[in-house]
Amino acid sequence: MSGLEIKKLKAESNGKEILKGVELRIKKGEVQALLGPNASGKSTLAKVLLGSEKYKVTGGEILFDGKKITRLSPEKRSKLGLALAWQNPPAIKGVRVSRLIDRISKKKMKKENPFFNLAEREVNVDFSGGEKKMVEMLQIVSLNPKLVVFDEIDSGLDIKRIGIVARMIKKELVEKGASVLLITHSGEIMKFLKPKVTNVMVDGRIICSQGNFNKVLRTIKRYGYERCKKC
Amino acid sequence: MKGAKSANYWQIDHELKNLCPSKGAEVLKSADAWENIPWAREYFKGKPKEGYFIWVKEQTDSPIFSCVSISSDKIKQEMQNLLVVEKGLQVKLQGTCSSLQPSKGGIHKAQGKIILKDKAFLQYDHVHSWGSKNVVWPEYDFILGKEAKLEYSYKMISSPKDIKVITKVELAEKASCILKLAADCRLIRAEMEDSVFLKGKGSSGQINLKIVAREGSKILARSIISAQAESVGHLDCQGLLVDPGKGKDQPVLKMAPQLDCRNSKAQLTHEAAIGRISSEQLDYLRMRGLSEKEAIDLVINGFFAA
Repeated sequence: MSGLEIKKLKAESNGKEILKGVELRIKKGEVQALLGPNASGKSTLAKVLLGSEKYKVTGGEILFDGKKITRLSPEKRSKLGLALAWQNPPAIKGVRVSRLIDRISKKKMKKENPFFNLAEREVNVDFSGGEKKMVEMLQIVSLNPKLVVFDEIDSGLDIKRIGIVARMIKKELVEKGASVLLITHSGEIMKFLKPKVTNVMVDGRIICSQGNFNKVLRTIKRYGYERCKKC
Repeated sequence: MKGAKSANYWQIDHELKNLCPSKGAEVLKSADAWENIPWAREYFKGKPKEGYFIWVKEQTDSPIFSCVSISSDKIKQEMQNLLVVEKGLQVKLQGTCSSLQPSKGGIHKAQGKIILKDKAFLQYDHVHSWGSKNVVWPEYDFILGKEAKLEYSYKMISSPKDIKVITKVELAEKASCILKLAADCRLIRAEMEDSVFLKGKGSSGQINLKIVAREGSKILARSIISAQAESVGHLDCQGLLVDPGKGKDQPVLKMAPQLDCRNSKAQLTHEAAIGRISSEQLDYLRMRGLSEKEAIDLVINGFFAA
């Protein structure tokens, strides 16, 4: 299959099982959403998918464009075209945003870029929540990835910036054929990006995958995630 | 060494390769200065065997370059260097000390004296790049006259087997100095001692020390600012531990900042921290496609640049 396939994925951190058999498929060029309560394993899934060494995969496998990547290093996965926009990216003192982008993409940041004002600042040092998200976007776009996981890219952004980010995702990624998995708690960003599938994760498993994002979100808002378990 | 041929003073092992004056500055072998310039003798510890004498007598716009290298195993350099900047003059000095054959040994011992007369200004960029078998003992004394200014940057970009670096600055009235000392250490036994003595009223001094301790390095860094007059001093010591290995490979970094106040109107402050590269930073950069080594290097470069 072209795209991402996650089969019965299990992972733990410090002996605690967090992912308990995740099943997920994202086809090439598809936009999907991932909802779930706090601590359900969404961010862990994103990091395990990108190969974080903080987690130990104890079962299952990950395939990308038909290739097994479960044991690959993060940098090899990145080279294959996987990318993650972090929810809380770390600060890297003394490294300018423009330097990092030059380094990872071998492209100079252009002055016409709407976020060029962030270029000379140190990566995520004293950044507001919104500025961190913008720098994540800049890096992701510069990587020209095939599949991107956005971990709450909309949190901490005002309505105007959610619109800017969503349009960037659409124009720079989706329209160029990249697949996108959006982890979110609110539906605001989905007004701009229509996910084909909405997944719900509870307690380390994806328990629901449906087509209508608004319907799933309405149900969760009204009845909570408990209703999803019964779905 | 790239650019060495254009240096005002260029020495390899014991051989002087180039010696040329700069406009406004006299450049001699230290031994010749000892012979021909009587007042210079008071600054040398006996007749110098080797080393440079630079006397800045008039304002010069071009920087002065010195380049000293080791290329053989059995060499023991014993440099005595003297730089004198006359009253009110401003000068830039770029000095490089290095090994041309990093796999070979050799000893570099240097005693330097830098005299800045009243209202003189020196910007000195000093780079060390050694091989893993070198033994290096540099000792530099800076004497600053009234209202003189010093900006001294020392960078050790690759480490020898053993190093002891001593840097001492004495400041007269209203003189000021900033010392930026940075060392990237791997498989090294290093001792660094830097001291600023605020002797004159209204003088000010600042030390920014940054050390990266990688595998197998054992480092002791002592920094002191001593205020003997109404003056201002600040000491900032930052360390970064990398690759915490096991047993003898485990890096050890000891930093000992010290403030010594002997005047009730002096203001001395310090900050010190030793951190490590977090696994989160490495994960983050590796997910952007950098290898672990590239990620570590980027974080270290950032540490030095911050």
